[in-house]
Amino acid sequence: MRDILIRDISVVLWPAFLVGGIAEGLFFTVINPQELYLFGHPVTYSPLATYSIGFFAFWALCAASSWLTSYLLRSAEDVNRKPSVGDDETKAK
Amino acid sequence: MSDTAAPRRVIPIVEVVEDSLYEVRRKVYPRAVTGTFANWRWALVWFTQILYYGLCWMPWNGRQAVLFHLVERKFYIFGLVLWPQDVFFLAVLLIISAFSLFLFTAVAGRLWCGYACPQTVYTEIFLWVEKFFQGDRAQRMRRDTARWTAENATRRFAKYFTWAAISLWTGFTFVGYFSPMSELVDSVLTWHVGPWELFWILFYGGSTYMGAGVMREQVCKYMCPYARFQSVMFDADTLVITYDTERGEARGGRKKGLVTRDIAHATGMGDCVDCSICVQVCPTGIDIRNGLQYECIGCGACIDACDQVMEKMEYPKGLIRYSTQNALAKHWQLNDIVKHVIRPRILIYSALLVSVSLAFIWGLASKPELRVDVSRDRASLAREVEGGLVENVYRLHVMNVSETTRRYAISVSGLAGIDLLGERIIEVPATSAQSTTLRVRAPVDGKHGAQVIYFDVKSLAEERIKVHEKASFIQP
Repeated sequence: MRDILIRDISVVLWPAFLVGGIAEGLFFTVINPQELYLFGHPVTYSPLATYSIGFFAFWALCAASSWLTSYLLRSAEDVNRKPSVGDDETKAK
Repeated sequence: MSDTAAPRRVIPIVEVVEDSLYEVRRKVYPRAVTGTFANWRWALVWFTQILYYGLCWMPWNGRQAVLFHLVERKFYIFGLVLWPQDVFFLAVLLIISAFSLFLFTAVAGRLWCGYACPQTVYTEIFLWVEKFFQGDRAQRMRRDTARWTAENATRRFAKYFTWAAISLWTGFTFVGYFSPMSELVDSVLTWHVGPWELFWILFYGGSTYMGAGVMREQVCKYMCPYARFQSVMFDADTLVITYDTERGEARGGRKKGLVTRDIAHATGMGDCVDCSICVQVCPTGIDIRNGLQYECIGCGACIDACDQVMEKMEYPKGLIRYSTQNALAKHWQLNDIVKHVIRPRILIYSALLVSVSLAFIWGLASKPELRVDVSRDRASLAREVEGGLVENVYRLHVMNVSETTRRYAISVSGLAGIDLLGERIIEVPATSAQSTTLRVRAPVDGKHGAQVIYFDVKSLAEERIKVHEKASFIQP
């Protein structure tokens, strides 16, 4: 399980970081952060805060997509071997 | 169905043993190397880092010469000021960089990776610090497994501290390209760094520390997309770092002086003395003698190392050298290699690069010095006013893209008797924008709906700088 966890963290977060950065650049080139509305109210954060929050939002979204991809790529072995709740993990291995 | 049974195939069922996706990393202790390629790399380290650490301090027309000002949404690159409308230029600049990378990768392999990539450059700097405090490869390997002594701990701490200092300065410099350096310095000196500025200094500094101090070759091997697709740009005429197998094999140790090169050859030995120094100096920990591998970043450390050994043995240099697959297979000389630089792939990359660059230059040269956005004020409706006139209200956003403050005259045309109320002259400081609200009046002419009118904005000082912008005038 630890292997899968480490794989998920690195294979999911790193490509998401790269693509999130590109998305951030494209989005804020076209849209001025001072013209955004958050739940109907104009955004009052400083531009730098908006850019930063925007970047993390894009990163998180891309990570969600990457994670789903990696989850669906799991082999039958991985899925079958996965211990159910309450199983002793060492016994399952 | 025929009754002769087909031979039965037995498919063996092999128990799947799941291996870890990742190999266990052996820590690489690159041995320091000197020589032509090491000198080139250090020259590039100095060049890129003087540029990186220095450029953000350079003034230009009373502002920072290179600044990607996020708050103002303007990119300053010396005399060039890019607004969000100019994103096209940035895109083309990226395309030019990509084609340059393709071109020189096709000609001479991973020059970028070996000499100019920040990952390589900072690793080189960090390795120098490591060597300064903890010694070269052998000493470092010994110290890493030795018991903790006060001396060991001090050396280690001094190294970590120096790395952290370099990383922090790198992070600080990075933020200085996005937020004006003068303000950033003030905020640091008065201990009032904004939370996000501080965050990004630490984030970029931390990435530098992790990349150059901890992860090193793993970044190139597992994280870099370019390393994975480099083979697309390679062909048999691409210059790569190669080991001359024919000359080197069979490899083997020998005593210098006891066994001459002729005797060695007569007994079936090649020139490789199997000293393994080429492996020890490799920053990615590979053996170049196994042939071209995707892990090879083309730094040339093994060439420098092998040449020194060949010199000591009084053998000709170049057992490991820059060569092409074709040159090795067909025993080409240098002039044959040079002749094969010109080939369809190179010509296509060059043609694309030249045409995109020309388009870029043309675009820059014809970049307008004045931009005007006209929008009808939606808050106030078109209305009839005294004297049989209709009034529409407009907002003019006048952007002075040039580096001098300019005054512009505004006029309106397109309908009989049309005229504007309010300020007809607008002053816009250099590289900034000014908005003005204009009331435009025209006689009622019986036609309802939108009619086309034009705003003319002209520089008072220079006639050629003008904008003719369309708008619609509503008759109620």
